[in-house]
Amino acid sequence: MAVFLQSLISGVLIGGVYALIGIGLTLIFGVMRVINFAHGDIMMVGMYLTYLLFTLMGVDPFVSVLISFPLMFFFGGFLQKVFINRVLNAVAQNQILLTIGLGLIMSNTVMLIFTSDYKILTTSYSSSTIQVGGGVSISTPLLVSFLITAVITAALGWFLLKTDTGQAIRATAQDRDAAQLMGINVSRMSVIAFGLGAALAGTAGALISPTYYIFPQVGGTFTLKAFVITVLGGMGSVVGATLGGILIGITESMSAVYISSGWKDVVVFVLFLLVLLFKPSGLMGKSRT
Amino acid sequence: MRKHLLALGAVLALSPCLMAQKIGVINSMSGPEAPIGEHITNGIKLAEEDLKKKGINLQLVWEDDTGKPQISMSAMEKLATRDNVVGVVGPYTSACSNAVAKLAEKYRVPLLIPAAAKEEITRQGLKYVFRMNAPADKYASSLIDAAAALGKPKSIAFIYENTDFGTSTTKTAKEYVAKKGMQVVADEPYPKGAADYRSTLAKVKSRNPDLVFMVSYVADAILLMRQSKEVGLQPQAFLGAGAGFTTPEFAKERAISENVISCTQWTGDVNWPGAKEFEARFKAKFGKEPTYHAACAYASMMIMAETARNAGGDRAKTQHGLKAGKWNGVMGEVQFADYDGFTNQNNHQMLVQQIIQGNYETVLPAKFATKKAIFPFPKWK
Repeated sequence: MAVFLQSLISGVLIGGVYALIGIGLTLIFGVMRVINFAHGDIMMVGMYLTYLLFTLMGVDPFVSVLISFPLMFFFGGFLQKVFINRVLNAVAQNQILLTIGLGLIMSNTVMLIFTSDYKILTTSYSSSTIQVGGGVSISTPLLVSFLITAVITAALGWFLLKTDTGQAIRATAQDRDAAQLMGINVSRMSVIAFGLGAALAGTAGALISPTYYIFPQVGGTFTLKAFVITVLGGMGSVVGATLGGILIGITESMSAVYISSGWKDVVVFVLFLLVLLFKPSGLMGKSRT
Repeated sequence: MRKHLLALGAVLALSPCLMAQKIGVINSMSGPEAPIGEHITNGIKLAEEDLKKKGINLQLVWEDDTGKPQISMSAMEKLATRDNVVGVVGPYTSACSNAVAKLAEKYRVPLLIPAAAKEEITRQGLKYVFRMNAPADKYASSLIDAAAALGKPKSIAFIYENTDFGTSTTKTAKEYVAKKGMQVVADEPYPKGAADYRSTLAKVKSRNPDLVFMVSYVADAILLMRQSKEVGLQPQAFLGAGAGFTTPEFAKERAISENVISCTQWTGDVNWPGAKEFEARFKAKFGKEPTYHAACAYASMMIMAETARNAGGDRAKTQHGLKAGKWNGVMGEVQFADYDGFTNQNNHQMLVQQIIQGNYETVLPAKFATKKAIFPFPKWK
């Protein structure tokens, strides 16, 4: 029972971080219909930003979110304005090529600057835990990052539902042409959406760095994960991405215990295929024509 | 005139001694293996200095294989046919060494491999291929022997990277524990770079193993130990088979690396002749602590150069010299023997070390030990 609870808890906690990555990707897709294959690399940039802030200025990784969130927002907005904007109406292959290319440039630039060595952030709480009883323990940094994720997700939900800009973003996602006809500045909404997506990815990078390790090629794994989460939850659905992230986290951790650690990716992808087979639009997705 | 002739005669008679020994080096000087390659390069540079003091001049031909077997092979072809070297020291990685070994045999060039772990390399009956370091099976057996000497472990759990390195090391380890009558209670391969090992470790914890045996590279080694502490995995000993558990980065993580037992080919404090001096000189010259690779490379070059000189620069005679010789230096006693299916394999004594107060200390075998092992593993704080 302790094993079950332990893996359930760590699955949910790590799933929270996955969700944050997935939300960023789904937001970008929802508004622009562009699949951002550089998403993991943007997250990697966020990780290195956290690393720099921590080693040079001694800023705690969790506090650094306050700095990296706006910085990554501007970075995302810049990418959208200079690059992505030009391919919005191009065929999908070209969009994919562009985002993959941007990702490669990011990871190789970082490799030139920092070399390909693994970096580990060691904070005073990196391996501290909270005992919950019954032999179950919770990693403190993971719990804190989950709480921050929850706050950010709630704030994002409020922003999208209640504010004018948020509604404009949702309107753009619903129907770009109609939104434009209603007087919404859709290209501005695109910049904001991409900026938000990048900021969320960067934040996920910052949150995971006290418990994970950092290297220039780390993005690939997370791009794939974010993609699976987004499709699983339904492309463009924020709630879907949140659910998808936690679901993937739990699946990974449960299959590592009850099947084998080596097989956990297989289980995740089988689940992914099953969802696609029986509900092609994803868990929360509405099919579009 | 006669004086001149005499002088000329003297020069001619001495010439084999004055002639520089032309020896090839294949190493991973760039590419992903470059950090280790650097240690090998520096070890060889120190050997070059010491050989000069002994009156042996070296003419080294350096070849960079960038860690790729095909480049390693073309380097070997070049060294054997164009540069006409007497012998070759290198390459570093198992994949490169295995590829080059067959070429060495084909061209009949003595090849001395300093630090490649794959067992198969010296198991093919190749007469011209020699190896300094102990192959991979020794990693597992020396660690398990150490644990058995320290306590009475009955069960063992394996956690390892599902790559060639992880699975092959674990496979030999499993065969070895079966012979020792230990029970394998968990067998967990994991994909490299996973963020969360907690569930795997919780599962291992529930089986309550006496020993936990891990095979990982640096970053995963640190994550695994951190998360072991988190879930409260408490065996009698954590055994780390090479790679990630023997680096200064790992030792620096005091909170989680303390008391972890690992094994290595060489340590700076072992009482093999010249080992301590080698470490001090290496540190003074290159500003870094030498890894075992540096010591292996140093010893390999010393042996190769001396043998080549004694053989007068003849390849076949050098091969005989390596086969018949016996040395004692920074790597302890070296002899290239045929045993257990190996050919020309130095039956090297692995050292078992433990991180005690942030430093790697040799704890076993007893005659080389500097500190007493801490066993069982203390309770996590």
